[in-house]
Amino acid sequence: MVYEKQGRYIIPFDDVPADRAPMPEISVDERRNNFVEIETGFPEETAIREAKRCLSCRRCLGCALCWAECKPEAIDFSLPDETLELAFDEVVLTCGQDNAFCDPDPELGFGRYADVLTDLQFERMLSPTGPTDGLALSPLDGRIPAHVAIVQDGRSAEDPGLPASLILGVNMAQLCSAQTRDVKVTLISPLSDEFKARYESQIRQITGLTLIEGTPLSVGRENDSDPLNVAYTSRSDEKVTIAADLVVILTRPDTAAYLRDLARQLDTAPPAF
Amino acid sequence: MCTGRLDPAIVAKAFKKGLDGLLVVGCYFGDCHYISGNYQAQAKIEMTRRLFEHIGVNPQRLAFKQCSSGEAAVFVEIVNTFDATIRELGPLGGDGDAVRNPALSEKLATAEAVLAGEKMRWVIGKKTPFTTSGNMYGEIFTEHEFNRAIDMIIVEETEVQEILGQLRQKALSVAELAGSLAIPPARIFRYVTALKRKGFVALEGISGRSPKYKLISQEVS
Amino acid sequence: METKEVLVVGGGPEGVRAALEKAQAGVRVTLVERFPALGAARIPRDRIVAPDACFVNPELEEARVHPNIRILAYSEIQKVRRENGKIQTRILKRSLRVDNDKCTDCKACIQVCPVNMLDDFDEGLGFRTAVDYFNPQTAEFNIFKEDMPVCQQACPVHLDIRGYVGRIADGRHLESLALIRERLPIPGSIGRICPHPCESACNRQYLDAPISICFLKRFVADVEIAREITPAYKTASQKFPEKIAIIGAGPAGLTCAHDLARLGYENITIYESLPVPGGYLWVGIPEYRLPKKLLQREVDLICEMGIEIRYNTRIGEDISFEELQKSNDAVFIGAGCHRGLKLRIPGEDDFEGVVDCVTFLREQALGTRKSGTGKLIVIGGGNAAIDSARVGWRMGFDEVYLVYRRTRREMPANSWEVDAAEHEGVVLQYLAAPVEILGKNGAVSGVKCIQMKLGKPDASGRRRPIPVKGSEYVIDAQTVVPAISQTANLEFLGKSTEFRLTRWNTFEVDPDTGATNIEGVFAGGDVVSGPDIAIRAVAGGKRGAAGIHTYLRSR
Ligand SMILES: Cc1cc2nc3c(=O)[nH]c(=O)nc-3n(C[C@H](O)[C@H](O)[C@H](O)COP(=O)(O)OP(=O)(O)OC[C@H]3O[C@@H](n4cnc5c(N)ncnc54)[C@H](O)[C@@H]3O)c2cc1C
Ligand code: SF4
Repeated sequence: MVYEKQGRYIIPFDDVPADRAPMPEISVDERRNNFVEIETGFPEETAIREAKRCLSCRRCLGCALCWAECKPEAIDFSLPDETLELAFDEVVLTCGQDNAFCDPDPELGFGRYADVLTDLQFERMLSPTGPTDGLALSPLDGRIPAHVAIVQDGRSAEDPGLPASLILGVNMAQLCSAQTRDVKVTLISPLSDEFKARYESQIRQITGLTLIEGTPLSVGRENDSDPLNVAYTSRSDEKVTIAADLVVILTRPDTAAYLRDLARQLDTAPPAF
Repeated sequence: MCTGRLDPAIVAKAFKKGLDGLLVVGCYFGDCHYISGNYQAQAKIEMTRRLFEHIGVNPQRLAFKQCSSGEAAVFVEIVNTFDATIRELGPLGGDGDAVRNPALSEKLATAEAVLAGEKMRWVIGKKTPFTTSGNMYGEIFTEHEFNRAIDMIIVEETEVQEILGQLRQKALSVAELAGSLAIPPARIFRYVTALKRKGFVALEGISGRSPKYKLISQEVS
Repeated sequence: METKEVLVVGGGPEGVRAALEKAQAGVRVTLVERFPALGAARIPRDRIVAPDACFVNPELEEARVHPNIRILAYSEIQKVRRENGKIQTRILKRSLRVDNDKCTDCKACIQVCPVNMLDDFDEGLGFRTAVDYFNPQTAEFNIFKEDMPVCQQACPVHLDIRGYVGRIADGRHLESLALIRERLPIPGSIGRICPHPCESACNRQYLDAPISICFLKRFVADVEIAREITPAYKTASQKFPEKIAIIGAGPAGLTCAHDLARLGYENITIYESLPVPGGYLWVGIPEYRLPKKLLQREVDLICEMGIEIRYNTRIGEDISFEELQKSNDAVFIGAGCHRGLKLRIPGEDDFEGVVDCVTFLREQALGTRKSGTGKLIVIGGGNAAIDSARVGWRMGFDEVYLVYRRTRREMPANSWEVDAAEHEGVVLQYLAAPVEILGKNGAVSGVKCIQMKLGKPDASGRRRPIPVKGSEYVIDAQTVVPAISQTANLEFLGKSTEFRLTRWNTFEVDPDTGATNIEGVFAGGDVVSGPDIAIRAVAGGKRGAAGIHTYLRSR
């Protein structure tokens, strides 16, 4: 997912929230049998108040403070963009670093709870060059989770993308236990017979990891200070709920829009996973 | 002294020491011996007022007014009006302000740190170029946009300075920081991560399930 | 033989592997990545490995130094085209604005940068500053300088929204209007009727609600009128003598004429088949949303630049297209989509009282259809359908029905328009499709409808309606207005049929210049895009004007 390009980081300004100005209108009774303009326009005061809501989004302010601080004089604001006209014999499209993914099931709470992450985010967290130096931490409170639940989003046992997604989950679980003390990991996903035959015994040997065959249903919490409740249907079709301090969603990759556009212009198939 | 030389950090310090109001009277625009000193003074006072409002000090306690050395009557009028305003507000940290003593003095210490910081000093100084000839890319800001940029620094720097202020005393975890500051732990976590990336704080150790962070002393350059 | 050149798009592990494979086979590779550096080493997804085997990828470093690989990071492919067996590309390589050979990685810059932003490399978990490294492994610094804010990016003509809204906040309303007019000659009209893609993108929606960008534009346009100011649109001092003909005085044609006049062209004529300007702004969008007086004022301001509009002149009838082409140096076609699509059901052509929405609205706007009685049924779910229903309600029809085959959720019309129609008393019937128009003595008497239910989503992502067997029913009506969609009427081209058209009967044009395949003929607006929105027609007009200017100056 491209976070940076989504816009500027959202800051808790003092004037948030502030109502959007409503457009004044003439009443329905005044409209019958005539074509008088319905909307009457903002009064000046309303317009100014509304305009002041604008966040004036801008990333680099162009203030040059970095330039003033840079001793080796490496910063140069005037370095220009370049436009290249190049000809090729062949084009290979691959999925770049957009890491686009299909919207996870809204029931799984991504975007609603700070401690529900995507597999891509968790991967970065576990990386030695990541934001927490490889420690698994809950972004909600910065604590080490006692229990991490890794849940599969929107795949059935037959889904051809399932094995890769599960293997990522297993590898993340191993890394997590190796790098962070006292973390239990539960992986909840539908499993195919083929997958089980091939990997199950190997996975069961990993300490600290519990593999559960089931379909994740929902993630949520009742009170702000509670752990997350992770509900799933088990193999015997029962609804089971377990508690977790951090939830990681195994997402389904998607092709970024610009790649689809490129593929269309080239008349080829867009890259897939 | 030219009003343009005014240091906002000292203004905050003075308030921290118990000042109830500060009136800065400068010359008229166009009369400045140093060409733009009074513009700078106005910008600095304006931004300090915004910061005061943010931390809970009534911004009316701070004012920038203009008159020339020949206008005794005008000067008296300005002073009397300001005096009346401050009398009405009462002592700092009382009914006239959103935040009361003693919490206010801690807020003012943060304000002083924000105003003494390079970011704030530098960007305030850019007001005239940004709104007239443009930034490094030649883009001209509206007054509103400039204020937003300042507000962004005010909001974020206040939070960051509060965190740094706490860490200056001892190493703390995100939860401990959240306990003493009115900032949600999720935001503190982000700031701490960012401060780590910038080399201001480091992981000290882990106590129980909570990583603790300590300040890295910066060499003074 | 020349060495083969291969373009690999995407600097993730996959792209790096592809690039290395090709490079090792002796092919010259250009690896293009949108982000400022190649990607991170990842956790394997194809095998279960020990923790220390994660995040290792020697290929990254190998690719970085391979002599056959050229890495273009922070680059975007702006254009690709197959031509003579080659793939021609235009690639924008963004500047990092940091000379990484000089950089000593001391981090002094990121300690002082006042701008925090979500970090893409860490999937938005952390912060980076505006000047910062992207991939900590390569530690290459860059300054994140976006071209424009998201609102401006979403605007088809890229209005400087931050600038004009900021000027209103500063109380400088007329300066704000002047800034808008730099790119949009009809702000008062667009400020009333635009479906505002900018607001759908606005960042403030993530905090509370988007800025009311569109109405603020209207506000400044109204300020000028309230203060009784008549501005003069400027034209360049250097003049050009070439003759330019423009077909259609809709937003596309008007904007094209304006931009060309501004560039200094003095011989511009707009040919308009109707007696009024504005295209659908006049004869489609009803008066209660956009007063004609206001539209006329904006058109007059454009004409004051020295542009002639020849009304009641239909190209293809009054003047042939060939003649126009011959007597002008360049032609811009902005003829819009003015043919209503048929329902293609029995009875449609047999009875008096069936009028397609284009005709219905046009006649009302031109004053030839003043009132109506009895029951009116409008068929369709787009803005034109809603407009027809609301116009009918105002014309005095006793009852107005709107019949749509899907549900409210799938309706393409703007939600606020649907709300307003309902509010005014239009009866909305969802999940109903007409199957036959019924009539008596040559006049419409009703519509036979069938109930629908929603099935699986189709290609457009909307759920496809399926008829429910045996659920037919009749709504009686005296007037029926089909408002399905419109298409371009290209009969005016007459014999010049060498134009390359799309399968939607619209012109195929160059995406940069708006040029058709016929030299000197350009097109823009609905006649290129199919029925769309006015601001995109304005963008089409601007593109055409720029294209014509380049074409004429390089001739
Ligand atoms: C009912 C309705 C409501 C709409 N509401 C909105 C809205 O709320 N917001 C919005 O943004 N968009 C709206 N639109 C769409 C918008 O009006 C159009 O996208 C826009 O007007 C297209 O501009 P254009 O210049 O390409 O074509 P048009 O505006 O269609 O103008 C084309 C002009 O060319 C003339 N012409 C055609 N053929 C010839 C010829 N042979 N010789 C001479 N002249 C010719 C026509 O008479 C017409 O005046 C609406 C459209 C309709 C039909
Ligand atoms: S707040 Fe909205 S309108 Fe203002 S600059 Fe940001 S995206 Fe544009």
